[in-house]
Amino acid sequence: MDPVPRIIPAAEWRRVEAGLVQRINALNLFLWDVYHEQHILRDGVVPARLVLQGGYFRREFVGVNVPRRIYIHICGTDLIRAADGEYLVLEDNARTPSGVSYMLQNRQVLKRVFPALFNDYDVLPNDDYPAALLDVLQFIAPDSASQPTAVLLSPGMYNSAYFEHSFLAQRMGIELVEGRDLFVDGNRVYMRTTRGRQRVDVIYRRIDDDFLDPLTFRPDSALGVPGLVNAYRAGTVALANSIGTGIADDKGVYPFVPDMIRYYLKQEPLLNNVETFRPEIPAHRSHVLANLDSLVVKRVNESGGYGMLVGPASTREQREEFRRAVEANPRDFIAQPTIQLSTHPTFVDGGLEGRHLDLRPFVLCGERVTVTPGGLTRVALPKGSLVVNSSQGGGSKDTWVLAEDRA
Amino acid sequence: MLSRVADALFWMSRYLERADHLARAVDVTFHLDLDLHGVLAEPVELEWNSLLSLLRQPPPPLADGEHPVVAVQRWLLLDAANSGSVMSCVNRSRNNARSIRGSISPPMWRELNKLHWRLSDPSLQGRVAESPHDFCQEAQMGVLLFHGVCEATLTHDEGWHFIQLGRHLERADKVLRILDSRYSLLEGRDAADLPIRALQWGAVLRNCAAYEAYQRLYISRVEPERVVEFLLVNPDFPHSVRFCLARIMHSLTEISGRLPGRSDDEAVRTVGRLLNDLVYFDGRGLDGDRLHAFLGDALARTARIGHLLHEQYALH
Repeated sequence: MDPVPRIIPAAEWRRVEAGLVQRINALNLFLWDVYHEQHILRDGVVPARLVLQGGYFRREFVGVNVPRRIYIHICGTDLIRAADGEYLVLEDNARTPSGVSYMLQNRQVLKRVFPALFNDYDVLPNDDYPAALLDVLQFIAPDSASQPTAVLLSPGMYNSAYFEHSFLAQRMGIELVEGRDLFVDGNRVYMRTTRGRQRVDVIYRRIDDDFLDPLTFRPDSALGVPGLVNAYRAGTVALANSIGTGIADDKGVYPFVPDMIRYYLKQEPLLNNVETFRPEIPAHRSHVLANLDSLVVKRVNESGGYGMLVGPASTREQREEFRRAVEANPRDFIAQPTIQLSTHPTFVDGGLEGRHLDLRPFVLCGERVTVTPGGLTRVALPKGSLVVNSSQGGGSKDTWVLAEDRA
Repeated sequence: MLSRVADALFWMSRYLERADHLARAVDVTFHLDLDLHGVLAEPVELEWNSLLSLLRQPPPPLADGEHPVVAVQRWLLLDAANSGSVMSCVNRSRNNARSIRGSISPPMWRELNKLHWRLSDPSLQGRVAESPHDFCQEAQMGVLLFHGVCEATLTHDEGWHFIQLGRHLERADKVLRILDSRYSLLEGRDAADLPIRALQWGAVLRNCAAYEAYQRLYISRVEPERVVEFLLVNPDFPHSVRFCLARIMHSLTEISGRLPGRSDDEAVRTVGRLLNDLVYFDGRGLDGDRLHAFLGDALARTARIGHLLHEQYALH
């Protein structure tokens, strides 16, 4: 963790916040639509093939009514700040985004280290996140549950985000369960307790769709709960996030999110995407292949900073490898200009140096949409690096959103 | 609470108690060994062998040129290949705690983690060959600290009671075993053996952290019958079997939420019957055979309590 906080003025944050609210609303409308009437596909706004053949589209969920029509309850949207100061969306994380515990812990650490600074600046607190998340979980509980029981479903202590699972469960006061703690009987979900079975109404799951239920998805999954998907279909239990949200943050669908906002909300997007080329369009393809050394090329099915080519930092062999791959399967790729990510003073080797960073604010969608002020600022620690993923040597910073000027 | 969490709490605590007893036993045997050197003509490896048989462990493999006594100490304290060594028990306890970190208080985790790292210190481990005393002290103090922190920082609810169950069930089992390893000492009252007997019965008390408490109560030399009585039926001493059973009874009734004596479950009945036998235990004229029979029966019933708990609360 880097001790120098990143500071966002109130006016700048207002715009980001409004843009994020707009975006999650559009994504939820999109998911409801593609799993029901599919207007947006029939109107040709988003290519049907892209959605229906996408690896994350859950055919099994077409026509299923999810509680309160919300698919994405928890979203971590990655933003970057371009040279001109404009915030752009790099990607949406609508499956099981992580990192919120770092956001909360970084703030705790900074308050301990620099208490005086918090007096000088008016920093908006972010401490309410766990309570707001619990509100969301209780909001989506089945109507039959008067005092809903929510649990956090984790893959267990060997998962890299286990600390976060444990931390959030503790902060919300709910049970941290593993697949083997739950079972389904008569389409209802129960947990095994010392006093026998106890009904579970809401599951905040931190397990991917594929591992959720060996009867529906991967049969070799030992992490999931057999029968959970059917119980969810029957409406006796709520899941956050819902199943099938992966199609909304698919890199292939990403270029169409601004169009979704126009289509569903009849509004202009407040946050723009990074300019994106799709090699399956012949004109884009020739542009991409001619500029491999200046573009960032990403595989649509990968995440976490893997499966990508950062043009300016690449070798001739890497570019040739991607050229062949793009020519063979143009649909599997998107390409973006190498954005000069904003830099920020960062404590390196005893002094301050500029490092590239991005921002992942956390958006909650329940009765209303809540954006926790700030988010997780990730820093690319190696000099000049543009990859901020923590799995690739990234660090993080506390992020301060300042209160409105009181003057 | 989740059965898996209850299970992990129970074993976290039980393994820690096991480590505590073993560390004390090695320390006590080490010192007994030194004392016996002065009064016994024959080699005193006997005491180490009797410790191994109490633990139902075969003699450990010998490294080249290693003294058999040093090998036993290393095997019991440090060896990762021995799933019952102090290090292994602390590791298993810590792994259980790690899987349920959210269900214990942060200071509990911190103490357990610290204990693990202190015992892993190469210089501390290196000194074991010369004297195991520092290592054994470190282990025992770490366990005590953990329980002190647990007492003061964890809500005394169901989870806390599962921790108490693991601790007291393990302790009752160990005290019964320690007594059972010495029942034959009740026979043969040759006056010439007296100093040796006194050392050996003193070691029994020390093995149960009971030496000073015994002295305070009886103000006398170490008398075998009194030692047996003290460790079996004293109602107030934390390492007496009766005390442990009373704590187990209390925790079980708290967990089940029923009144003692109004409970219809088999675990409570088994605990209650054993507790009654201890309360009304008659130690007069006790000979070795009768004591051995009583202890064997008590050990079997203690084991049964463990099985019943696992069935009843679906522990793994």
